[in-house]
Amino acid sequence: MTASREKKIAYGMLVGPSVLIYASIIIFPIVFSLVAGFTEWSGLGVPEFVGLKNYTRMLSDPVFRLGLRNNLLIVAISVFGQIPFGFALAYIIYRRMVRGHDFFETMIFLPITISAIVVAKLWNQIFSPAGLFTQLMRIIRDDPRFVLSVFEDRTFAIVPILFVILWMYTGIYMVIFLANLQRIDPGVIEAAVIDGAREHQILFRVVLPQMVNIVFTTAVFAIAGSLKSFDLIFAMTGGGPAHYTEVIAIYMYLNTFKYYNYGFGSAVSMMIVFLSLGLITAVQSVFRRLEARYV
Amino acid sequence: MSKMTLGISRSRDVLAWRIFASVFMVFFTFLTLAPLIWLLYSSFKPHPAIIRNVFALPTQLFVENYTKAWRLGNLGLYTINSVVYTASATVITVFLALGAGYGFGKFGYRISGYLYTFFIMGLLVTAHSVLVPLFILETRLSIDDTRFGVILPYVAFGLPFMVYLATSFIRGIPDSLEEVARIDGAGYLKIFWHVIRPISAPVVATMTIFSFVNNWNEFVFVFVLTSKQSLRSLPVGVNAFAGGMSRDYGLLFAALVIATLPMILFYVFFHEQLKRGFAAGAIKE
Repeated sequence: MTASREKKIAYGMLVGPSVLIYASIIIFPIVFSLVAGFTEWSGLGVPEFVGLKNYTRMLSDPVFRLGLRNNLLIVAISVFGQIPFGFALAYIIYRRMVRGHDFFETMIFLPITISAIVVAKLWNQIFSPAGLFTQLMRIIRDDPRFVLSVFEDRTFAIVPILFVILWMYTGIYMVIFLANLQRIDPGVIEAAVIDGAREHQILFRVVLPQMVNIVFTTAVFAIAGSLKSFDLIFAMTGGGPAHYTEVIAIYMYLNTFKYYNYGFGSAVSMMIVFLSLGLITAVQSVFRRLEARYV
Repeated sequence: MSKMTLGISRSRDVLAWRIFASVFMVFFTFLTLAPLIWLLYSSFKPHPAIIRNVFALPTQLFVENYTKAWRLGNLGLYTINSVVYTASATVITVFLALGAGYGFGKFGYRISGYLYTFFIMGLLVTAHSVLVPLFILETRLSIDDTRFGVILPYVAFGLPFMVYLATSFIRGIPDSLEEVARIDGAGYLKIFWHVIRPISAPVVATMTIFSFVNNWNEFVFVFVLTSKQSLRSLPVGVNAFAGGMSRDYGLLFAALVIATLPMILFYVFFHEQLKRGFAAGAIKE
């Protein structure tokens, strides 16, 4: 009796503080957002219940749609850029195709330690008229007046940001793939080599089928991470010019903390959660189908 | 990396693969490093020299950029703040997560399953989706604009992944070790401190390093939850400095290097653990 009581008290002391902090800082605010999303509220006074008005207003707002499009492009560059590049780099290292792989691995992973704010300010300067990229292009194109005009283009303003995202995060995927490649039974590959398998056969027939799971996991990572992209874009462009590079998180931030539409901002917050869950569910169903076919 | 040889197949495409691999790898590494190296040497050039020729190496080491950025940008204070936030949030998160990991991994209560899932779901929650209510909550409790109010969300958002790491590790510790201590009459908390904690040293190292880097680079909580300049962290301070009146690239670059250098040094010593942290999130069991 006392032993079980002691156990329960110990359990409460070990688990309690984490649960308490987690529940009050993350779960409670999410529930709060869910409710506040149905109201009109400036942060002061009594919130007024408005039903789904915030959501309908959001979906019909061209700025929101542009933000959503930009977010989906970030998801796309993560899934179709970072994941394949990360895998290719990991595979090259794993198969010992280059010398000094430790050096390469460590260098490509390095940007992960750098704050998104620093990365943003650095690349801003590189793309600026007096910056590295602009000057380089002036020499390459032999045009002393070249400036990067893509930021003024509604459709393509997000492209340089996509590039920076690729630059910053590919190393993570490389490290994840490498860790999982190293868990493949080396005997399987040795056997394939002895049987005279060619490199592309090893890659496509032996290695890739064992990586399907990891591709799925990294895709979930990529989606969750992509919708979080706030710091980098906020520090690079602030969503401008004229909302061209806005993403949903920035849209939420501006509506809440600049225009004090707390109810509306909460609805946007919830939208991020819904989108995240929706995309992950979609990836999951695609993955299930792939798994059924190949595994 | 293990030392086993995974010799590349000895067919005639070996050379083609090697050439392609080298080109790809060198290109990618160059693309990663070039901007950083350029940032580093440009930070020693005065502004006019940067404008005159962006590519040129510095002719003299113009350290004034650093002294001036440090002073004007208030970077000394922000560095101290960053150290305070990062160190305290990291220690608290790792300690709490380890405790929870022991509870979830070894106590065999059914509620653990639910609570654990509850934490794992937190991996999907972005800081931005709770920003509004968190801001309101902190204002109501009058802990906005305080160090405590900053550290709390750092800890909360660090917990899901740290609980995941700790629980997976502690589950793998053989029960026999714990049982021996129980027979000796040790209580659960004593076992936690004298048995589980020392055995968990490798995962604690990974957790600490991973959490340290994340907390150091955290931006949005300080940015939204504080308004006092004296509470700014390095990323928030650098953001303000770069967006402020200073159009001096030399100063800007020096500030960026100051904000980055501690993490680069950290990386030199701990990159293996950091890799392990990222990899642990996606290891196929």
